Order: sequence, then structure tokens, then C-alpha cells
Amino acid sequence: MADLIFDPDVHGELFSAYLDGQLTPAEVIVVSELLDGSGEAIQEFLALRRVRTSLRLLPEFEVPAALLPDGHLGDRLSAYLDGELVTIEHRRVTKHLVDCSDCRAELQELDRARIAVRSLPGVDTTVTEEIAATPPLHHGRRRIVAGGLGAAAAAALLVGLAVGGGSDPAFVLEDLATHHVARASAEPGFAVLPAAFEVSAP
Amino acid sequence: MTEELTPTWEDVAHRYGRKIYNFAYRLTGNPDDAADLVQEVLLRVRKGLSSYQPGSFDGWLWRITRNAFLDGIRKKKRRPESALPEGDHHDLGSSPSPDEVLASIRLSDDVQSALLKLPYEFREAVVLCDVVGLAYDEIAEATDVPVGTVRSRIHRGRKLLRGMLTWPI
Repeated sequence: MADLIFDPDVHGELFSAYLDGQLTPAEVIVVSELLDGSGEAIQEFLALRRVRTSLRLLPEFEVPAALLPDGHLGDRLSAYLDGELVTIEHRRVTKHLVDCSDCRAELQELDRARIAVRSLPGVDTTVTEEIAATPPLHHGRRRIVAGGLGAAAAAALLVGLAVGGGSDPAFVLEDLATHHVARASAEPGFAVLPAAFEVSAP
Repeated sequence: MTEELTPTWEDVAHRYGRKIYNFAYRLTGNPDDAADLVQEVLLRVRKGLSSYQPGSFDGWLWRITRNAFLDGIRKKKRRPESALPEGDHHDLGSSPSPDEVLASIRLSDDVQSALLKLPYEFREAVVLCDVVGLAYDEIAEATDVPVGTVRSRIHRGRKLLRGMLTWPI
């Protein structure tokens, strides 16, 4: 085989790849022959090795802890309650809940809020439809709702009357939670918390 | 099956967060940009894990990381080492000498400054290889170019750095 003439533009790339362990066995032999035959090749090799070493010894920074999850479940708890997690993820969350009192407490809070929202009575739309179908009264410039209430406020008032039967339309979450408890006892399966995480009364 | 192969995004955050942070830090020299990238990548990983097909996770992750980085810029802007065949190559292994190690540590600020002067493609390839520690085929997958192009970019990047750095030894 004819002696290889070292050309940095052609062979330098082999040296870099050799240093990275990315050469084929045949290319490794070429590198060996080049280093055997040329002082210039040796200088090039050593210079590239110094650069590579400098890069690899750059200090590694710690990622700020605030950027990483803290190990708690965060917004996966809501998805867990709603049955939206796939089986594997559900198992992971369940396992974490066994070990983590913080997440169990957060889960209980979320479940209370969720119960309250889900227990809101349905709106009897026939009432509002009947009202909407009623021709407006026109006595001069007077409106049906006195006091200058806007349409949204009026609608809200009507809905409140429809669902509240004329009682105080201000809903209290605790009352709604009671609704839920009643529904849960009447409909087995309505409660979504696993037995291990029964929410105790506050 | 996928339970074993597909990590959760929290696993990814803890296992790769530091690498992603250092990747961005070395490419930009800016800790705020690095922090932004970690957040963006973790968000994309969280969204993308449900559709991830088990395969080269590193290739998948670093492609996401690279795309997130480039998107951020647009808004603002190993195999085991082969031994040489038998022969007298005294100091010509891939392991640096102790003097080289000491000199390199002293040089780190200069190296960072020089990195920032490299054309982006070279800087990216060098950082993925020497800072992140990816093999050439993984870099090729992450950057969507052939392995030969990766090899060329890494060498040209190092050669440019060599011209910019002065050595105290």
C-alpha cells in the first residue's frame, strides 16, 4: 500500500471522529497509519484533542429547581378525579397518593369542589323559554325589570328563581355537597374516589 | 409494554432537565434563555408523550429540544471508543493528559465565548456531541441531517474553536 500523505483538510475529520469513537475499523487503521507517518498529523491530532477536552470539561450547571416538578401530582389530580388518566398513569397516581399526605389532602379539596359543581341542579329551560316568548311590555320607556338591570343580570335572576323555587338564589357549596352525598348514596358508582381515599367529612 | 418504555414527563424532567438546561446555556451563554428552553421542552414533552412511539427516546427528545430552541430563536432569534491498532503512539490516545485537563478548566470562559462565535450548525453539533454527550447517529436524528454531515460539522466546529483559543501549555 502506498504511504498516506497527511492532508488536514481531508484527514482532520477522521481524527475528530476517532476521538469520539465513531470510526469504522478500516478508518481506525487509516488514522493509525497517518499518525505513524507524519509529525504534522500528530500535531493536528493533539490540537483537536485539546479542543475536545476543553469542551467536555466545561462545568455543568444545575438546572434551577423551580423548573422541575416537585414530585407532587399538581394538575393531574383533577384528571384523576375525572377518570381521564390512562390506566398506567392512574396506577402511578394511586401509588403516589398512598405515600403522599399532601396530595391526598389536595385531592380531598378538589373532590369537594368537584362534588359541588356536579351537584348543581339542572336549569328548567321551559321556564326561561316561556319568559323569552312573552311579548315585551311597552309602557312608555319602562322595562320589564325595573332599576336598569341589564339583560345578563335579568337572565341570572330568572334562572335563580327557576332553580331556587323563589328561595334565596345564593348557593352554598356545603349545601351542594350534601346534595352530592345524597346522590352518591342513591346511585352506586357515582362516587369517584377509590375506597382507599374516601373523603371524610370536614 | 409501553409502561416500561415510555417515561412520564416528570421522569424526563428529572433525568434530562439538567442536560437540556446546559445544552441551551452553552448555545446561548444565557441562563434565562436556558431556563425558558427547559420550560418549553417539558411542556412539549408533556403534550407529546401520549403520541410517543417507543423507539429512540433520546432522538425524539433532542429533536423536540432542538426545535423548541430554534422556535425560541425565531421569536428573538458514542459508540465505545475504538483503540488504535498496536503501535508506538505514546501520547496519542483519546484520553487527555493531566496538564490538558487543568488548562481546559482554566479556559472554560474562553471556550464559552468561542462557542458563541461559531456558525449555528457547527455550534449545535459540537454542543450535542461534547456537552450533551450524544453519539453521531443520535445527533443526526435530532438535527435531521445525515451522519456524515454531523461528522463534518463537529470537526469543522472544533477546528474553528482551535483557531480561536490560545493554549497556556
